[in-house]
Amino acid sequence: MNVEVKQRSQRWRDIAVALWTSFLAASGASVLCYAFVDPVDLELLRGIDSPFLARMTGYALGFFFFWGVALAACLLTLYLVRTADAASTAAVPPWTQEDR
Amino acid sequence: MPSGTDAATSGTADAGSDSFYVAHQKIYPREISGRFNRLRTITVITLLGLFYLVPWLRWNGRQAVLFDLPARKFYILGLTFWPQDFFLLSWLLIIAALSLFFFTALAGRLWCGYACPQTVWTEVFVWMERLAEGKRSQRMKLDLAPWTVHKVLRKGAKQVLWIGFALWTGYTFVGFFTPIVTLGREILALSLGPWESFWIVFYGFATYGNAGYLREQVCKYMCPYARFQSAMFDHDTLIVSYDRSRGEPRGARARGSDYRAKGLGDCIDCKVCVQACPTGIDIRNGLQYECIACTACIDACDQVMDRMNYPRGLIRYATERSMEGGATRVLRPRILIYGAVLGAFIVGFFLAVGMRNLLGIDVLRDRNALYRVLADGTIENVYTVRLLNKDELAHQLRLSAEGPIGLALDADRDAYTVGGGEVLTIAVRLRMPGPQPGGSHKVVLRATAVDAPQLTRASDTRFISPAG
Repeated sequence: MNVEVKQRSQRWRDIAVALWTSFLAASGASVLCYAFVDPVDLELLRGIDSPFLARMTGYALGFFFFWGVALAACLLTLYLVRTADAASTAAVPPWTQEDR
Repeated sequence: MPSGTDAATSGTADAGSDSFYVAHQKIYPREISGRFNRLRTITVITLLGLFYLVPWLRWNGRQAVLFDLPARKFYILGLTFWPQDFFLLSWLLIIAALSLFFFTALAGRLWCGYACPQTVWTEVFVWMERLAEGKRSQRMKLDLAPWTVHKVLRKGAKQVLWIGFALWTGYTFVGFFTPIVTLGREILALSLGPWESFWIVFYGFATYGNAGYLREQVCKYMCPYARFQSAMFDHDTLIVSYDRSRGEPRGARARGSDYRAKGLGDCIDCKVCVQACPTGIDIRNGLQYECIACTACIDACDQVMDRMNYPRGLIRYATERSMEGGATRVLRPRILIYGAVLGAFIVGFFLAVGMRNLLGIDVLRDRNALYRVLADGTIENVYTVRLLNKDELAHQLRLSAEGPIGLALDADRDAYTVGGGEVLTIAVRLRMPGPQPGGSHKVVLRATAVDAPQLTRASDTRFISPAG
C-alpha cells in the first residue's frame, strides 16, 4: 500500500474513532446535564408549546450539541498529535528553514 | 502489534503490517456446537428475551419499566424515580462497573463472551446470515461468486431479516423511553413524531452496522473495556487457554496412529479453532486482547478431540497458574477487595432506595421583588414552592415555616392535595412584623403529609427585610 493511500485510510479511521469517543462523551454529558436541567425551562425552547415535544427536542439538540463540541475537541487533539512530528519543519516559514 | 491476527489476515500480510490499522479482512466464523455454545445460546435468548419483552409488561395500568424521558420520570415496577434521584443512577453505574471488575478478575471476559450487547446481537445477526446464506464454506463461496439471481436472492433475504430485526430493535429501544404501546399505534397510524422516528432509525442503524458489519472490529478498535480489562487479570483468573504442554508439537496424523512415537502432541493442527473464532485469532498463540472469551474454540476443539478419541480440554477454561501446574487460588486479596466493595455498594443502594424521601420541596424566591412592606408595617416575602409527591398514593400536604420569632406563613389553603407521582406549584407568602434588623434571615419551609406525619421534607431559604 502506498503512503498516500495509507494516510488517507488512517485519516478516515481517525475520524471514525473521534466520532465514536465523542459519541460516548456526549451520551454521558447529556445524561448528566438533563438530570439537572429540564428542557422545558430553557429559553431557547419557549416557542414550543407541548412539553413533550419541547423535551424531546431539548434532549436531542443537547445531545448533538455535546457531540459536536466533543467531536471538535477529539479531532483537534488527533490533528495536533498526528502533525506533531511534521510541525517542527512545516509550521515555520520556508525561508527560515534554509538557514538550518 | 500482536501478531495474532495473521491467520485471519494471511492474504494481506503486506498491507501495512507496521500500522495499527491492518486492512480489514472479513471473518467467516465457522458454526460449531457444544456445551459452551448451548450455554451462550441460552444466555442470548434470555438477555434478548428480556430486552424485547420487558417494555410490554404492565404494572398497575402503566408500563412496568419505562424511562419516561418526556415526562422526566423513571418507572421500575412499583418504584418511581425523579431527576432528583439522579444519584441513585450514578450509584447503579458504579455497581455495574464494580461487578465488571469483580467478574473479570474471577473469570476473565465473561461480560464480553456472554452478556455484551455487541456479542449478543452479533450472534443473532450471524445466525440470520447463516439462515440466508448457509454454512461458512457456502458463505465464502457466495461472496466470491458473481452476482447471479441466486446470490441476489440470498443476500436480499439476509438484508430483509437484518433490517427488519434492526428496526424492531430500534422500536423496542425507544419503547423503553416513551410508552411502547402508544409508539406502536403511532407507527401503524403513520403519525410518529419526528424525534421518535429519528431515534428508532438511529438505534436500528447502529444495531445493523455494529452487529451486521463491524462485529469483532467493535471489540478491537472501539471498545475501551477491551483495552484495559487485562488490568483486572492475574495468574488466578479463568481464561480460555490452549494447553501448550499437551498440544505441542502440533501436526497432522492419521486417526488411531501412534503419534507420540512420532514425537507429536495432541494438537492435530486442523485449525478448526481458528475458523470458529469470531475475532479471527489463533488461541494457540496464547492470550490475546482480541479474545472475547466466547469459548467457540473450546467447543470446536472438543469436537475434534472426541473424533480423535483424545481426552477433551486441549483448549479449556483454565488459569495461568493451573497451566503452570499450580493450584488456583479463588479467594485472593483482589477478589476479596472487589467483592467487599461491591457488596457494600449494593447494600448501600438498597438502603438508599428504601430510605428515599418520597416528598420533595423546591423553594424559589420571587424574582421581581425582594420584599414588600404592607400598610401596617408587616414585611412580606413571596416564594414559589414546588411540592413533589414521589409516592404512588396521593397525599394531603401541609406547609409550615420555621425561622425567627414572629414568622408567619400565609398560604391559600390549609393543605394541598398532590396526586401520586405529581408536582404542584403554589405561591406562598411569609410575613414578619416590622421593623426588623435589615438583611437576610434563614427560614425553613417544611411540607408534611397530613395523613402520614412521618412523610416530611424541608427546604432552606432566605427571608429578606429592609434596613431600618
